[in-house]
Amino acid sequence: MEKMGEIKIEHISFGKKLKSMLSVDFRRMFTTPLFYILVGIAVVIPILVLVMTTTVGGSTSVDPTTGVETVAEIEPITNTWQVVESISGESAGMSSGIMSMCNINLLFFMAAVFVCIFVSDDFRSGYAKNLFAVRSKKADYVISKSLVGCVSGAFMILAYFIGAVIGGAIAGLSFDAGAAGIGGIIMCLLSKIFLMAVFVSIFVLMSVVGKQKLWLSMIGSFAVGLLLFMMVPSLTPLNSTIMNVILCLAGGALFSVGLGAVSNIVLRKTSLV
Amino acid sequence: MNAIEIKGLTKNFGNKQALKGLDMTVPMGAIYGFIGENGSGKSTTEKLICGLLVPSGGSIKLFGRDYTDADVRAKVGVLIEAPGCFPNCTVWNNMMLQAANLSIPNAKEEVRKALKVVRMEGSASNKYKNCSLGMKQRIGIAMALLGHPSLLVLDEPINGLDADGMRIMREVLVDITRSYQCTVVISSHILGELEKIATHYGIVRGGKMIKEMTAAELDADCRTYVALRTRDMSRTKALLTFKYSRVEEDESGYLRVYDAKAPEDIVTYLYENGILVNEIKTAKVGLEEYYIDLMNEKEVR
Repeated sequence: MEKMGEIKIEHISFGKKLKSMLSVDFRRMFTTPLFYILVGIAVVIPILVLVMTTTVGGSTSVDPTTGVETVAEIEPITNTWQVVESISGESAGMSSGIMSMCNINLLFFMAAVFVCIFVSDDFRSGYAKNLFAVRSKKADYVISKSLVGCVSGAFMILAYFIGAVIGGAIAGLSFDAGAAGIGGIIMCLLSKIFLMAVFVSIFVLMSVVGKQKLWLSMIGSFAVGLLLFMMVPSLTPLNSTIMNVILCLAGGALFSVGLGAVSNIVLRKTSLV
Repeated sequence: MNAIEIKGLTKNFGNKQALKGLDMTVPMGAIYGFIGENGSGKSTTEKLICGLLVPSGGSIKLFGRDYTDADVRAKVGVLIEAPGCFPNCTVWNNMMLQAANLSIPNAKEEVRKALKVVRMEGSASNKYKNCSLGMKQRIGIAMALLGHPSLLVLDEPINGLDADGMRIMREVLVDITRSYQCTVVISSHILGELEKIATHYGIVRGGKMIKEMTAAELDADCRTYVALRTRDMSRTKALLTFKYSRVEEDESGYLRVYDAKAPEDIVTYLYENGILVNEIKTAKVGLEEYYIDLMNEKEVR
């Protein structure tokens, strides 16, 4: 502690600051309805997809000029894990139509919604003013938001997995993991959780760039996220191995550090109000 | 040592220069009234002090250290524009979040104390969005008080408040300086209210500090005048204008003579011209008039 005139200026370590920031952000995450809504959606989507695709046979349309009936068949789902991911080299069970958008990878965009709203709320409510007026270093803010984003993403992935199991059970689908095995499914989920760090670091950067402008953060996150989205199935197939996990972990760490540093610079060099 | 020392501060927003080399010195323990018209650079200066904007040039020192120093910044409490609270959270939860941000060990006790100082202890369970403007401003001050700041920066905390709200706020601000013993920088347009609490003043115009002074210096600077009423005000004004260089009629119907040496001279002069004075008093111009005069002077120059 240093005493300057009558003012006692205490040194607060970075670790202590980060700890306090994390406690606030996690408290906020677990008390915000948005988190529970998104986790809820993550549970419901696979249930709906599995139940609907196994109960609805397809749609029939009639050509008014010829009177010929055409039946648009939805490729049937025969295995619960098809809704999670496809085995590398094989096409997904529901590769066509809108249903292909509803597999687990959709959660990367749901995480974008969460991170953008979470960070934007700080700036829109004026909470960021309170925060940055007493904190000149912004690294703890970026780390904290990234960790909260990753954890929320992990919760969504787990919720989706639970939803898939429930949906599979309701629809009476097979739980046979086949060539992937149970270990492959676990590795696949782990890879996705670590890969979430890559996406979250992008979303945090877009959010600190957009600040109060939620629409800008969202558009930026979706646009940049889409560029990387295509590689998700190949990086995290259902038959993932420890190599996939390590790759995703390394990628997540690299992106988090690199883009985290950029986010930090953005916060230091731009106006915060 | 000064609480704030600013030298040659500039801030550009695109092509517009909001601050043009502003200098400012706030001694420790002062209640610094920061005055200026809209767009003069008050809020920009305060945001720069709080690190919410990045300066284009110049230096800002807080307690002798650079304003970016992480340790010194932990000693700053801020209320800029509106308090930064989550509208759907209760007052208590918003306060606890800020206490956690500041790593305050006995957070509950500190929050209770801060709410008591701003007379909000009974409204802790209210949702922030349901609070009145006056309550919100006081919550903002309570948040700024967490962690026992040595410097409190308040941007227009009394604007928009009703008479009762202003009275409570004035009492709160006086209490704060007594019990927390911190330096306060407070900007406001309501100069009458500011005059009641400020110990130092800084007047800013067009992004530059045009005058800094203590309350005692202001008092010495403020001219005394003679205010009077007669039955025939228009004739009195004509007679007085003939003898004195500055005679004005104020809002309450008095004639003010600024350069009269003694009231009895005026009474005698008017009596000799057949006018009886009904009422006469000497008074000093307040901060508001001093400020207007100063602004007019600068405009003429």
